[in-house]
Amino acid sequence: MAGSVEAETRSALFGSKEWVEMSRLEELAFEKDTLVRKVRRIPALGEVLVGVGDLVEPETVLAKGTVWNPDVREVRINEELRVFPEEVKKYLLKEEGDEVKEGEVIAIHRSFFSRFTRVCRSPIDGTIEVFSNTSGRALIRGKPIPVDVKAHIPGRVLEVIPNQGAVIETRAAFVQGVFGVGGETVGELVTAVDSPDEVFTAEAVSKEQGGKIVVGGSFITLEALRKLAATAAKAIIVGGMDEEDLTNFLGHEIGLGITGQEKTSLTLIITEGFGVHPMDERVFNLLKSHERRQACVDGSTQIRTRMLRPEIIIPL
Amino acid sequence: MMDSESKNESYLIVDIDDLVTKAILIDRINGSFGIRGVSEASTTVDSPDLDVTIGIRKAAEDLGRKVGRELWGVKGPSRDNRFLCSSSTGGSLYMMVAGVISMISAESAQRAALGAGALLVDVFSKDDARPEFKMVEQMRSLKPDMFLLAGGTDGGAVQQVLELAHLIRTADIKPRFGSEFQLPIIYAGNIEIREGVLDILSKEKYATTAVDNVRPIIEKENLGPAKEAIYDLFMEHVIIHSPGFKKLVSWVDRPLLPTQAAVGKILYAYAMERQVNMLAVDVGGATTDVYSVYNGVFNRSLNADIGLTYGISQIMKEAGVQNIMRWIPKDMSQKEVRNIVGNLMVLQPTSLTSDEILVQQAAAKEAIRMGVENHKKLASRLKGISVKGTLDRLFEQVLESTYLNMMKTQVIIGRGKVFTQCQTAEASMLLLDSLQPEGVTEMMIDKLSLAPHLGMLLDANPETALQIFSKECLQRLGTCVGLSGKSGLEEEAMKVQMTKDDGTVLEMTVPFGELTTLSLGSDEKAKLHVKPRKGLDIGKGNGKELITEVVGGEIGLVLDARGRPLVPSAKKEVLEKWLEALKQRQEAPSLAQRSG
Repeated sequence: MAGSVEAETRSALFGSKEWVEMSRLEELAFEKDTLVRKVRRIPALGEVLVGVGDLVEPETVLAKGTVWNPDVREVRINEELRVFPEEVKKYLLKEEGDEVKEGEVIAIHRSFFSRFTRVCRSPIDGTIEVFSNTSGRALIRGKPIPVDVKAHIPGRVLEVIPNQGAVIETRAAFVQGVFGVGGETVGELVTAVDSPDEVFTAEAVSKEQGGKIVVGGSFITLEALRKLAATAAKAIIVGGMDEEDLTNFLGHEIGLGITGQEKTSLTLIITEGFGVHPMDERVFNLLKSHERRQACVDGSTQIRTRMLRPEIIIPL
Repeated sequence: MMDSESKNESYLIVDIDDLVTKAILIDRINGSFGIRGVSEASTTVDSPDLDVTIGIRKAAEDLGRKVGRELWGVKGPSRDNRFLCSSSTGGSLYMMVAGVISMISAESAQRAALGAGALLVDVFSKDDARPEFKMVEQMRSLKPDMFLLAGGTDGGAVQQVLELAHLIRTADIKPRFGSEFQLPIIYAGNIEIREGVLDILSKEKYATTAVDNVRPIIEKENLGPAKEAIYDLFMEHVIIHSPGFKKLVSWVDRPLLPTQAAVGKILYAYAMERQVNMLAVDVGGATTDVYSVYNGVFNRSLNADIGLTYGISQIMKEAGVQNIMRWIPKDMSQKEVRNIVGNLMVLQPTSLTSDEILVQQAAAKEAIRMGVENHKKLASRLKGISVKGTLDRLFEQVLESTYLNMMKTQVIIGRGKVFTQCQTAEASMLLLDSLQPEGVTEMMIDKLSLAPHLGMLLDANPETALQIFSKECLQRLGTCVGLSGKSGLEEEAMKVQMTKDDGTVLEMTVPFGELTTLSLGSDEKAKLHVKPRKGLDIGKGNGKELITEVVGGEIGLVLDARGRPLVPSAKKEVLEKWLEALKQRQEAPSLAQRSG
């Protein structure tokens, strides 16, 4: 074993490592055999479903919980009841923190011996978050949204993070690309070209690549990319592509180099850069040597001071 | 004026950015202050070091070896020197501001925050188009380092300011770093409700400080106290949470400032000393800053995410690839340009190919253009003042939506690697194309990139700071004589006669659409007569002659008859010819022939 790799939700290197030579960026990881440790957490406190030593698969749910619902509705109670804002409080049927159902009456105003009645109803299922005496308005937040976190890689639970998740460890080959789009996915690794300097054209796309993680060579054409997406391939790993093609494929300019949330079913990882760039030979040979094995990839990239690069993990 | 204790002192000054920690030593050389040495080390805020002082020590020790002096002791910097420091680690100071009216108190709050070197993450106001709950969501999700609340003139608006305070209280905003700490809030609004606001923004939730109103009356802005409070809280509540800064703060002889604040201070002092209107641009990897001083009023604006490495794809997104391509003096396909932009962002190469340099410089021109457009919104007369007077005056005020007026700008300055890591002709072309100076304008760059250090020195020793900034730091590229207006191509645009101090007289006729130079060294001055043709203006009115004195520079006197607004030629060979013109420093004999 060459070394080990650890990460928060992504992987970062530590221990001994084998760097890719000058043809690629110096800081990019290239590990033939290493220990990968991934810290997997839900973005809130919740329940952890695994214990130390458990064996997990990529689809195993490690922890689940709920997060705040971003859907917040402003209810102008004073306007619904046709009273002054400062009067609203005496007509309220609910208080801050109370749960409400969609259509439930939260305030009622009866006047003229109850002959005229006006009510204010909740527009959604949720909780009354804030009520303002000065404006006569309330904010109702939607019900919390359930979230979970999967293992993403097969392996053993090394450590449990109370109420949040777990650290998963596995032996794997580990390679980083320079840029990617699309999030985490897992699939069988297949090579679509014979050499790292071969261009991946539409003719090389086949139905068999559906559901797979496909390895290209120096470049992929836009036509090939679209065809590959149509075959429901899970990911493409390639040396380079035209930035213009990426923009056309995504339907928008990249802008800031922060990716991973794109609405694409095909995760894309560029290993060398934009344009035609033969894939680093050692990377290509490593991927080819693991043909038909399971690979866990993530296109998420963050080009900032604390840089995150897309990654390919092949459990051994 | 030099304070008494500064007469015999030397200064170790450090600026820390995310990547580099740069130390300089300023000391007396042959009786007068000068830069004894400069040294750099990697910044060590992030892992594995997690202690900013390690990088500072390395830079200081290396500098000590260079100058043959012990600059670092066992417990920190040697007390033989005064120790000053600025920092932009962690991507600068993230601030939110709020005011009652977006164009009045909120705008004044923006100017205070930006002027203090902050990166504005959001601006809130009572006339905000967003509903209040959306503002609360935004306050919670963006997590600033600091909040500045303004609103109401003294004795003015009460209820709306209190409502804003309630909104901030409801939001329960957590600071960017360390949710266990209290977010610092500065209240700089209506002084008469200070107690009420402080009660709402109680001590349990926020670390709230009150200072004088940024807009005490509608006709006057008072940004100084708010800026000083930002500096204080930056050191006490923000930077202190980064690894190693607690130690660093105990060492500094004066409060540690955000880098951009230090840059702004020296630029302002320079413009004030020379009594000129000045426009300076600073193009970084991820941000583009614009600083201006017009009639003694300082402004800074920031285009976050617009820069030449991390931010270069954002330039392409916002400006459009065609706008970048129009400045490239070479035939390149859109595909090539887009790939180069993409690679500059994702690979961030340390050395560039010639094509990458061309694309980066073209992108820089668009970054500056967008930065200046943004700057115009802030560098404007105070809004909300009722305009009285004649119809003519009314029109004049309506038309003058900003102070920024290139015809009234005497000095333009470029900062950033894109200016310092290229030839002077290219740096000059960057300034000329992006800022399009009109009239007579001195062009300079911050060649040594020491503006933050000298900004820090300014309070301790202003005379030395200004002298070094002016003499050693700024490089004079030349003086531009730029024509405003349009004419037919190749028609005679202006006649120029330049009389040097030694009596040499140079004459030249410049056709419209041309860019050329006259030789005038950095240490030379000359008397200049410029007569533009009808329809063109050099600052005296349509076709009217200008007689003035000019100073030289590396490329001399630039005669820019390309007209304004400048439309770059579609012919690549013309763009190339313009650049070549700046590269050829014209000497007197050849000029004599040309003028004939």
